[in-house]
Amino acid sequence: MALGIKKGRLLAFAGILVGALALPFAVRDPYVIGIVNFIVTYSILCLGLNLILGYTGLLSLGHAAFYGIGAYTTAILMTRHGFSFVPALILSGVLALFFGFLLGLPTRKVRGDYYCLLTIAFGEIFRLVTQAWIGFTGGAMGIVGIPIPEVLGWKIQTEIDFYFLGLALLGFTYGTLSLLTRSKFGRAFVAIREDELAASVMGINTPMYKILTFSIGSLYAGLAGSYLAVYQTTVTPSNFRLEESCLMIIMVIVGGMGSLAATFLGVTVMAVAIEFFRPLPEYRLLIIGMIMILVLLFRPQGLLGASAFKD
Amino acid sequence: MFIDVLIVGIMVGAIYTLVTIGYSMVYGMLKLMNFAHGDVYIFGTLLCYTLLAQAHVHPLLGILTAALAGGVLASMVEFFAYRRLRAAQHRMISMITALGAAYVIQNASELRWGSQVLPFPSLFPSQIVTVLGYQISVTPIITLDIAVFFIVAFNLFLNHHKMGKAILCVSQDIPTSSLMGIPINRIISMVYFLGGMMGVLGGILYSASYNAISLGMGFRGTIVAFTAAVIGGIGSMSGTLIGGMILGISENIISVYVSSSYRDSIMFLILILILLIKPTGIMGRVEQEKL
Amino acid sequence: MALLQTDRVWKKFGGVTAVQDIALSIEKGEILGMIGPNGSGKTSFINLLSGIYRPDKGRITFAGEDITELPAHLITRKGIARTFQNLRVFPNISVLDNLLIGRHCRVNTSLANIYLNPFLSRKREREAEERVVELLDWVHLGDRKKELAKNLPYGEQRLLEICRALASEPLLLLLDEPCAGMNPVEMDTLAAFLRNLRERGTTLFIIEHNMRFIMSIAERIVVLDAGAKFREGTPGQIQKDKEVQRIYLGEEEET
Repeated sequence: MALGIKKGRLLAFAGILVGALALPFAVRDPYVIGIVNFIVTYSILCLGLNLILGYTGLLSLGHAAFYGIGAYTTAILMTRHGFSFVPALILSGVLALFFGFLLGLPTRKVRGDYYCLLTIAFGEIFRLVTQAWIGFTGGAMGIVGIPIPEVLGWKIQTEIDFYFLGLALLGFTYGTLSLLTRSKFGRAFVAIREDELAASVMGINTPMYKILTFSIGSLYAGLAGSYLAVYQTTVTPSNFRLEESCLMIIMVIVGGMGSLAATFLGVTVMAVAIEFFRPLPEYRLLIIGMIMILVLLFRPQGLLGASAFKD
Repeated sequence: MFIDVLIVGIMVGAIYTLVTIGYSMVYGMLKLMNFAHGDVYIFGTLLCYTLLAQAHVHPLLGILTAALAGGVLASMVEFFAYRRLRAAQHRMISMITALGAAYVIQNASELRWGSQVLPFPSLFPSQIVTVLGYQISVTPIITLDIAVFFIVAFNLFLNHHKMGKAILCVSQDIPTSSLMGIPINRIISMVYFLGGMMGVLGGILYSASYNAISLGMGFRGTIVAFTAAVIGGIGSMSGTLIGGMILGISENIISVYVSSSYRDSIMFLILILILLIKPTGIMGRVEQEKL
Repeated sequence: MALLQTDRVWKKFGGVTAVQDIALSIEKGEILGMIGPNGSGKTSFINLLSGIYRPDKGRITFAGEDITELPAHLITRKGIARTFQNLRVFPNISVLDNLLIGRHCRVNTSLANIYLNPFLSRKREREAEERVVELLDWVHLGDRKKELAKNLPYGEQRLLEICRALASEPLLLLLDEPCAGMNPVEMDTLAAFLRNLRERGTTLFIIEHNMRFIMSIAERIVVLDAGAKFREGTPGQIQKDKEVQRIYLGEEEET
């Protein structure tokens, strides 16, 4: 993970950037752009989750709750308090970071398996509270009528507009996470995943780093939630169930745990698979479940083999 | 009447114990969180519904068939989805696989039975007796007795039957048990089978008491199992019993006297509290990591 | 001058007393060896020194400072590093990254630096990499720096673990059975390396089972038995000591 930007890498990066910016002009079909936006949203989510799960090795089955916290924050601030999009976005991220911090605190005391249960409980309580607290969250109907976001005068309304907004968020996410993972922090996260005891003896303050990874990873989920809120113009509890968390996990695994670039591949593959099976909504869970089982039985190291689960 | 609430709470506690046994044994033995546990035994319970309410099969036959089917399904899940991963270096892999299995079974159940609440028939006629001036419903007591019967029978099996004792050995130490000639894979299959069977029996008793069975009870059932297991402590029958009882009684009391719509949230809150305070549960031993 | 001093430390696990009332000092610049039969508490003792266990009773002082209550990562920062009996390199990471992780506490880049001052961070990363490659070159592992640690032969992995510990520039290096699984040639190389280290100013504390190795390299030896300090002396004295032989062999002393 030592720094050194080779020429080839720089060219590839530039190529991808140009390609990404040109995409909506090459592909005009809003349906396809919609799928791309789905990929962009889940990429943001899964990059954050990859930091927590892939780099640091913490199994969090509550990631969808941070997605939801971000979404509801933006929804409430924009519909009830007249916030414009950018401040709502920032606050969504901050609030998600705060709750991520809270969820990271017990990692000190609660061991691996039990911690996973804690994340499930957290996610479920979030879902149950959003369903039950009708006065605040609108209950099962959720919050509707989220206004059109505006950034410096640019009204974001069409699929293509949302594509560029999403791309900007994704760029921010990937850029900041990339810097983080290539630093001593990234190394420390990986050390914790590989051997937590040895990591502490290397001088790594493991409890603090676990809280840090949770806080940061959740921040991005909050941003994605904010994006979802303005994209869908409604938020309901059904967007943030345990299934969503599982889907994110499987995307991270399919791509490759511990590799940011591989996340894009994982998300794309799963998104395409879901689209492919869209005409069969009654088989949705079955398909997700089968993919989960098959991937883990036969290719746990992810499509690119870039992951912590080698051999 | 408080005494009714208490009796029902104990009944639910006994049922929860029944359904937790399978989950707890698997976790204690293999450190695998079988997220598919609830969905498996609800499948069995749904099957029982079809046999009893639609095919009008004799209750005993229906229950037995359903229980066996649940056990078989549980072992099949182990065989196809979990067995190969037992040696995996990251336990996380098995946990996610278990989630996948849960989804597959859930979806399959939904395809067959849909997601609405179905009217599960009562097993015993409703009877009220008067004791010391109080009116007490007898059905929960009968259900409770049956649940306790199965728990006791299973416990006796574990401690006195040859296979039960083999199970206990494997729970403690797989390599040594293997060296002693105990067929590990077969015992593990048996553990899943029995756990699934117990779960179905518990599910049937529960659904008969509340005259309701639906798909959603599968996920809830898994949560109940691991909450009870965490409260009581993994790896001991008494722990499972204590955990089941505490969960059942407190849930029932709160649900009657406080609010029933927050019942699930309460369960999660209890889970969170225990995880934060004493994750190894009431009867659990704190494991020291060997360095 | 004592670099590290333990003052009557105890450690119990449930009913078992792993470390009993040990008072020990390690002098600056010395090579101190610790031997004892299996289960005598040597690894528990090293775990106490490195902060993995906290003593139930007693104090530990390092370079004049009380480190008894400090967690492991702070103890490393103070200048104590260690290796593990059962080899705990990070297997799925490159040799270079293993060492960079070892150097973690000496790389002074904060989170703010990474985002607000990326050039400074890059400079620090390069510095860290240079220092660490120096270490690797010293033990002739420099050309293998990109390889995954698990692909190295066993003896080199052991060497890697020691280098990883050295990456944090410790004043005191604790080695837990560094010779385990080594052949005599590797052992001699290791002995020469350790002496070299001591010349450069690192104090060494070595637990070993291999008598030939420990007697040849240690200047002073402490013998543990059943968690307590049994004997202390020079290698010559310890080798001749019948009592020490007895606790190893479990034979009755001849009258």
